[in-house]
Amino acid sequence: MTTQIEEPRRPTLPWPALRWPENLRVSPLVLLLIAVLLIAVVPPALFLINASLHETLPDGANGAFTWRFYQQLVSGRFFLPSLVNTMIYACGSAVIAISIGTVQALIVERTNTPGRKLAFLAAIISLGVPHILYTVAWLLLLGRSGPVNDLLSSLFNTTQALDVYSLWGMMLIEGIGFVPLTFLLMSAVLRSTDASFEEAAMMSGASPVRAFASVTLRMALPALAGLTLLIFVKAFESFEVPALVGLAGNVNVITTMIYQSSRHAGSPNYGEAGAYSVCLIIILLGLMFWQSQLSRHAKRYQTITGKGFRPRVIDLGGWRYGASALLVGLFLMVTVIPVAMLAFTSFQPFYGGVSLESFTRLSLENYQALLGPGSFRDSILNTLTLGAMTATLVVPFTALCAWLVVRRAPGAWIIDQIASVPLVFPAIILSVAFLDVFVNSSLPLYGTLLSVILASSVRYLPYGMRYAVAGAMQVHTDLEEAATISGASRARVFFKILAPLLAATLISSWLLIFLLSVQAVSLPLLLVGPGSEVMAVTLFELWQNGQVTELAAMGVLWIALMTCVSVMFHMLTRRHQLSV
Amino acid sequence: MPSLLNKTSALALAGALLLSAPSAMAQEILTSRAPDRDQQLLDGAKKEGQVVLYSAAIVNQALRPMAEAFMKKYPFVKVTYWRADTEEIISKLSAEVRAKNVVADLVEGTGVGELAVESGLTVPFTTPATDALPEMYRDPRGNWASTRISYFGLAYNTKLVPADQVPKTYEDLLDPKWKGKLSWRINTSSGTPLFITTIRLTLGEDKAKEYFDKLAQQKIINFGSGSARTLVDRVIAGEIPIALNIFAHHPLISKAKGAPVNTQLLGPVPSTAGTMVVPKGVRHPYAAMLLADFIIAKEGQSIFAKAEYFPVRPDVAPLETLAPVVPKVAGVQELFVSSEKLNRYYESSQKIFEDKFRQ
Repeated sequence: MTTQIEEPRRPTLPWPALRWPENLRVSPLVLLLIAVLLIAVVPPALFLINASLHETLPDGANGAFTWRFYQQLVSGRFFLPSLVNTMIYACGSAVIAISIGTVQALIVERTNTPGRKLAFLAAIISLGVPHILYTVAWLLLLGRSGPVNDLLSSLFNTTQALDVYSLWGMMLIEGIGFVPLTFLLMSAVLRSTDASFEEAAMMSGASPVRAFASVTLRMALPALAGLTLLIFVKAFESFEVPALVGLAGNVNVITTMIYQSSRHAGSPNYGEAGAYSVCLIIILLGLMFWQSQLSRHAKRYQTITGKGFRPRVIDLGGWRYGASALLVGLFLMVTVIPVAMLAFTSFQPFYGGVSLESFTRLSLENYQALLGPGSFRDSILNTLTLGAMTATLVVPFTALCAWLVVRRAPGAWIIDQIASVPLVFPAIILSVAFLDVFVNSSLPLYGTLLSVILASSVRYLPYGMRYAVAGAMQVHTDLEEAATISGASRARVFFKILAPLLAATLISSWLLIFLLSVQAVSLPLLLVGPGSEVMAVTLFELWQNGQVTELAAMGVLWIALMTCVSVMFHMLTRRHQLSV
Repeated sequence: MPSLLNKTSALALAGALLLSAPSAMAQEILTSRAPDRDQQLLDGAKKEGQVVLYSAAIVNQALRPMAEAFMKKYPFVKVTYWRADTEEIISKLSAEVRAKNVVADLVEGTGVGELAVESGLTVPFTTPATDALPEMYRDPRGNWASTRISYFGLAYNTKLVPADQVPKTYEDLLDPKWKGKLSWRINTSSGTPLFITTIRLTLGEDKAKEYFDKLAQQKIINFGSGSARTLVDRVIAGEIPIALNIFAHHPLISKAKGAPVNTQLLGPVPSTAGTMVVPKGVRHPYAAMLLADFIIAKEGQSIFAKAEYFPVRPDVAPLETLAPVVPKVAGVQELFVSSEKLNRYYESSQKIFEDKFRQ
């Protein structure tokens, strides 16, 4: 089998374009998509910029123009240290998540390790764990009175061995939390990478590790860079871990600064928070520009060509049991420990530490409380609708966008840039911005489930985009060229060639967006109204009200439900012979 | 399939388009003291047919039973509610009032009252039900009405802090042995601002300043990621030995279940009132008043009491298990900090926090 590695060249397919000067040419389809994206992204962005440049009046309206918030930001004694903390924290989390997730994905996608397919189930289960519970479970484990510290102090005779309320604690918890996401995204990338290069390398005498490192990973580089950026930004704007772990140890990052400043005045005041967010956006746009430079040579990495394609697994020989053990270890760390902590807590009458004594007070009280009349049953249908609709809106849209971006349709790079912008709106702020948009909208959207669906579609657009771009990047143009030459229209090329080749990627993307959007708390918090409550908000309220044991019970049921959804999905796609 | 556009909001919008503002007649009922007020409320509420409550009270124990009891008594009014923390309630309310798209008819929560009033988000109202409340829990201007009382104290982990060493006065908190072991809530008015305001009101500004200088040496853990209740949970889990200024009844509830935690009141005990307000541009004023009456009446107050809140009415007793933290029962002085007072001190107390305690 031969596969070409080509130098970048201009696409041979002419794109219908408006007759503008060469460097301003934009195809009408691209223009349409850009318009849709702008409608989605501009209102919240404008809200932020406006808020950061105006005094907030007592009723929350914008007052006089001011640079004050930016001046405060730069002169404030907290800005620089928190920026440095944020950088360290986001880099550290990204490194942990990417390295573990990539190793896991390599083992699962590229080797014959026994039991590797179960890693998907494990990842899906961990994605179902509400983030706040996940964080609490780790704190319980590594906290001052947790079993790890107990063990260490009895071994080394110290009073306080580990202080998890620190930067390393934040990086560890956040990084491990992102492993399922990186694993899923990396597998999507690896699955569509041709393994024949690895085979060639190994036949030439390279060890499996060397073949992975110098062939597989290098081929996945653009996708890997995109993924790293995604995780970096996700950590950059994450809230639960910085709030629960960081604030308790007086480690401030940008998001906790935004949170504190948006709340400290009592009445709504988004000036300072807006200024922080605008800075975040500028930093991110810079990073994205750098990443788009990197993927300019994407064509070098295309491996799905018209000449037959099959990702292959590599026989690890005796190593495969070691790889199995590694997967099991990761499974324990990423999934079992948090879920077990949760399950344990759900049988407790109150939320204490883990001790021998705590095993004597197991009870079913929490489950009884949940299954009685409660908001649990009211909100479940809303929640499933929210997840399904969001994913169904985002996936086809991003597939189309990604195709145009990867094929370098004139002006399509703008799509990629705009579609990534929602990543940087901190969810707390995005919620306020969308509240403002919907409450002022002349359409009766305010307080409805549809408004939550629209907002979360915008929020999860970048995730769909990364997934789709990673997939589309690896489809070689020759199939499409062949189809076009045979007279197929662009639409036909998209639906008959690209969509089937990308099906596996798009289905994983659907599931991921479903799982992410049903879990989001801060975004729907202000947007839901009476009757449109979703479960994640109910979970958050249980947490706020200190019904943590009930929350854990609900979390367990929730994970069970999400696992069912995922397994059903898995079986469905199997039947249609799509490996997901 | 749940309908994506809920019918009430679509209807409400259609209504708002037809009548750009509720009629002046309807607004008058809010402050009416007419002898036939009760009958007017019933007739008006029947026509309105619904009322929307925004509240910070717990759904399962308080809001749902309250709505159910109300609808049992007045089957012609459908109650819907939205629960959130005070900060979110204010955000949502101010957005609604600014956009003249007001969904809420009655807004209830701790700290909501004065903030909403000062921001110009509310209209005054009167309910004869407040006549039964102690003078200090009433607002003579009629901008808000008290709905429930909260007392604040210190929570300690009984395994980490022996009973004989528990700080019993504000002065005890300065003992160097508590360095790094105290925690308090930031970013919410009933957290650090209330604590700092209490000290200022008790000691006077000069002595308070000295006190804060010493207290800052204790390196208090700034807890910013959850409610007072979640801070108590951190204490129970043994992560934090002592939490300052938490709702005094929370530790008792957990203690009853066997958790290693207890409350210590420090004199004077700050107390605040949960309040309700009527938003400017209210769409269902009759039903709103009917619900307001109901919440302060014995029926509503008993529901709050059962939900582990402290009633404002002297003739409704709190749960027996919670009585020990009522200052009158415990024999400790109470310092009622009205939302107006708290609001007046808010900025300056917050500044003290920023200058001395934010790390």
